[in-house]
Amino acid sequence: MTGPTSTTLSVHDWKRTVVPLGVFAVLAFAVPVALSGNRYLAFVAGITLIHILWASGMNLLYGYTGLMPLMFAGIAGISAYFAVDLTSSGWSFWIALPLGALMASVAGTILGLPSLRLKGFYFTLCSLVIQTVITLGFVYFAGLTNGDTGISQIPLPTAPGGGTISPAVFDLILATAAVIGVVVLIAITRSSLGKRLVAIREDDELAEMLGINVTRYKMTAFFIGSLFAGVGGALYAPYIGFISPRSFDVLISMNIWLMVAFGGRGTIWGPVVGAVILVPLSFLLQEYYTVKDVIYGLLIIAVIVLMPGGIASGLKRTARPIEAAAPGMAERRGAK
Amino acid sequence: MSEILLEARGVSKRFGGVVALKGIDLVQHRGEAVGMIGPNGSGKTTFVNLMSGHLKGNTGSIRFDGRPIEGRNPYQIAQAGLTRTYQAVRVFGELTVRENVAIALVDTPNAIGQAGVSELADWLRIGHRFDARAGGLTLLEQRQVELLMRLVQQPKLMMLDEPVGGLSSAEVRTMIAVLSELKSRCTIFVIEHTMKVIRELADKVVVLLAGEKLAEGPPADILADQRVINRYLGNIDA
Repeated sequence: MTGPTSTTLSVHDWKRTVVPLGVFAVLAFAVPVALSGNRYLAFVAGITLIHILWASGMNLLYGYTGLMPLMFAGIAGISAYFAVDLTSSGWSFWIALPLGALMASVAGTILGLPSLRLKGFYFTLCSLVIQTVITLGFVYFAGLTNGDTGISQIPLPTAPGGGTISPAVFDLILATAAVIGVVVLIAITRSSLGKRLVAIREDDELAEMLGINVTRYKMTAFFIGSLFAGVGGALYAPYIGFISPRSFDVLISMNIWLMVAFGGRGTIWGPVVGAVILVPLSFLLQEYYTVKDVIYGLLIIAVIVLMPGGIASGLKRTARPIEAAAPGMAERRGAK
Repeated sequence: MSEILLEARGVSKRFGGVVALKGIDLVQHRGEAVGMIGPNGSGKTTFVNLMSGHLKGNTGSIRFDGRPIEGRNPYQIAQAGLTRTYQAVRVFGELTVRENVAIALVDTPNAIGQAGVSELADWLRIGHRFDARAGGLTLLEQRQVELLMRLVQQPKLMMLDEPVGGLSSAEVRTMIAVLSELKSRCTIFVIEHTMKVIRELADKVVVLLAGEKLAEGPPADILADQRVINRYLGNIDA
């Protein structure tokens, strides 16, 4: 039933989702293939795809559930180290990947527990401390992580059957992961879980009063969001070939957060666009590494001040006042 | 009289050294509208917070619909059919009315169907605002959205914390009409300072004073009770 007071979503909404998803899926596979002649550019595309997956996971937590986890990169790192260690001790990468991601999910769910007590800024501050502790852990447990030196020459995995996987083929695996990540996020936002998470973001006490088990669904959000972080982390390590504590430090968390905030938190495509703009930008700025952090800092300030809702809501906002003004004006005229 | 719906026995709540409620007993039957009055700080909202699970009491037992609910979480109590509103209007302001209602339906065991939602929305005259941002509605409309979000859950008991607070006198009349009809849909418990609301809605009135029950009885008796007049009603414009 789709009457004026229907609470189910209409077909119209689906069209607005399926068409962009199709375009995105085609581009995710076509761009690395088109760039395969130039390994450097294809690599930039691959890293962008990993960040799309990460940004989608961050978006689930920050955009949809209203929690800003600055330990996101640390969680990705847990999976990366775990998967690399398992692979180097003889396990198949294709088993190490889900195990590492699962490890990250469990860790992320436990590390998300403070969010049950701390809201907004206070949770963010707490997550910053957690991130710092994870980074110190990566340095401290040198037996597993090789400490500050990091682990280098991580090989690309072999195919499940035994053949080698070229970087160009691995690009397509990254594209698959990014597309699956976005599809999962869309499915969540369309499901009752998505409604619960948005309710928690808007007012968790009211959500609880309406019958929603806030504790359970915050934990669910952390489990799934950390799964995104973990899959990305496990894929990142062999793709780059080198990981160290700095690969998963607070700056990386901030970067991923910036992609979500810059693109538009709480929208499916905003963070994807954010990753597509900011990842290549960071490669472009690599030659100007002295000013890179300054530019990033300015970007963060600009986003917070000028576009609190990101690019996506910036576009929406220019359209909204016209729609919203009309009925209000009519009412006021009616009152006179 | 019909069966007991809510039964609180010896309920107390302390905040540090401040005793907010001292051993309150209250029995509410199914279909009976209870009004709670008392000066600011007498413990009315604390009482509702204890019933809805937002606060845990220090002593006492609470039974709702035949089952003990003290120590339960608010979501469990809500799912059992005890819902409430807040003193300050509280909706998901950034979301549309439609989204607000959809959220209210998500974890409700006894949720109403789509036809029921339409009927309720028409009754509350809020159906035409379903695509509006809830935070942009007038206070009266937001109060109606609050009621709609509770009613789609088909609660057994709705506890209303100052439902006409902040409304204009014309809006108060509208709200009283809505609440009178609400009585036929579910059992209500009302905290109010506006005696007009209590007089028109309540079958039984409980007066709190400094965390203790000062009086309890039919509205006509209570509003004429000399102790109540001296210690509470004398101060306000009834």
